[in-house]
Amino acid sequence: MYLYLPVALTSIAIFLPIGLGLLVGLLSGLFGVGGGFLLTPLLIMFGIPPTVAAATDSNQIVAASTSGTYAHWKVGNVDFKMGLYLLVGGFLGGLIGVQAIKILKAMGNADFVIKITYVLMLGIVGGYMFVESLSSMRKKKVEEVKVKKESKIEAFLKSLPFQTHFEKSGVTHSITVPIFLGCLVGILAAIMGVGGGFLMVPVMFYVLRMPMHVIVGTSLFQILFTCIEVTFLQSYTNHTVDFTLAVLLLIGSTIGAQIGTVFGRKLKGEQLKILLAAIVLVVTVKMIFELTMAPSLLLSLKGGH
Amino acid sequence: MRYQKSITSVAIIVLIILFLLSLFPKKSTAQLTARANHDHIQIDFFYHGSTVGVSGISDPGVDLVIKLTSAEGRQLLQKKGEVAGLLWMNVGELELEHTPGVYFLHSTKSIEDILSRDEMDKYGIGYQALKRHIEMTPAVSEEEKTKWFNEFIKFKESLNLYDVSSGKISLREKNGGQDYYILTEWPHQAPPGKYLVTVYAIKDKKVIETATADVLVEQTGMVKTFADMAKNKGALYGIISIAAALGAGFSVGMIFRKSGGAH
Repeated sequence: MYLYLPVALTSIAIFLPIGLGLLVGLLSGLFGVGGGFLLTPLLIMFGIPPTVAAATDSNQIVAASTSGTYAHWKVGNVDFKMGLYLLVGGFLGGLIGVQAIKILKAMGNADFVIKITYVLMLGIVGGYMFVESLSSMRKKKVEEVKVKKESKIEAFLKSLPFQTHFEKSGVTHSITVPIFLGCLVGILAAIMGVGGGFLMVPVMFYVLRMPMHVIVGTSLFQILFTCIEVTFLQSYTNHTVDFTLAVLLLIGSTIGAQIGTVFGRKLKGEQLKILLAAIVLVVTVKMIFELTMAPSLLLSLKGGH
Repeated sequence: MRYQKSITSVAIIVLIILFLLSLFPKKSTAQLTARANHDHIQIDFFYHGSTVGVSGISDPGVDLVIKLTSAEGRQLLQKKGEVAGLLWMNVGELELEHTPGVYFLHSTKSIEDILSRDEMDKYGIGYQALKRHIEMTPAVSEEEKTKWFNEFIKFKESLNLYDVSSGKISLREKNGGQDYYILTEWPHQAPPGKYLVTVYAIKDKKVIETATADVLVEQTGMVKTFADMAKNKGALYGIISIAAALGAGFSVGMIFRKSGGAH
């Protein structure tokens, strides 16, 4: 059964976006990522114009992250205070990132920088998380050594002004830390054209030292607001949100996010990390293949990630 | 004598007229007609493409070319190329002017066998004529133009928006004329708009007659409402999209909570 998409100007078998939504929602509920890095290329592959795929993806992430945030909030896994500071930083970072893109485009090498940044960030984050999680799952000693190694960084963070306690996460930081980190992720996310969940989750774990389950809920909370802003701007400025496609995707993603949350609660923090790392690494390998193999078509429509 | 003179004058005039007429292509005995049997395609929510049949009458023995195109416009695309001899990525834009978004061409025989190059160029028949007609920006060498034009055709054919075929038109002699008919698949990827069907009757490598028909592809009902709102009321459309997503997220969350899913 097919449904016509009024903005994408094409029709699609309805079970395809529902299935894709379910898969991405599952990842959202499990790991606290929006899943744009996975869904947008898949939608393009199934014939959705790139600009519509990216914008509609944001719309469906609003639904998936609402569903996920709600589920995590109900079990006390959302640190709203931390989420708000990260959000402020992310917003500032987004503005800086957009300007950075303009400068790169004017210099004529934007695509090269974006692709390389994407692959490097995915590779480094995925690789580090994978190795670190594997080690800490095998022996606890590694973790103790790490704590000692990072104590200097912790001492520096504690020396910063405006220290405040984040009760839900059980950590104390200067408010400048989440704002700065949110800003950094926001810059990278804007340059790469993604929500940045897969970057934010490791930052929350390794730098902010938040517990993994609270990270997932808080990341979803932050993604929710980012995607509300992006959906509105895309609708208002580019007219590229396809509501019909978004509905099909969110039918799957809202349910997927709930299932992901249930599964996530049954897994340990280390297991969640290693699974996310594996997915990030698979996406990295896929991107490296795309970059090094000659494409079958040398022309494409403008837009997208 | 006078009578003989006037007969001679009339005969000369008739001969001159006949000579002049012979300089022009012969007028067909059966006027070429074209009719699209599905000339108003309505796009509703369950639309997944359609079919368009083109039929009509032509002179017997002529070859036919049926061209179905959208209006010419600008196509803006991204080029992929090899960077540093290793990485494939976007390397710039390609702008094509005077290019139809949709181009279907069906002929009774291969167009190279039935038409001269000049005639193909004059009527925009065939990919090569299209290549000579379009303007490419940034301007490139002839070799580069051929390369990117071929890529453009490959790209359009992958979207089912361009197609060239021969031998698929059915012909049947009838009452001293020739009935022709072709049924073509209309792809769901073709955007709404007005399309022009042009039928060319060909003899001795020249177009001797043309006939046209229109095909209108239009969004209707809720599809049209959504498309119009997205285009003309972006802010409202955005707010509705966000509200619906928030509502769906909360609703599913509450359903799962009631059923104990999230515990």
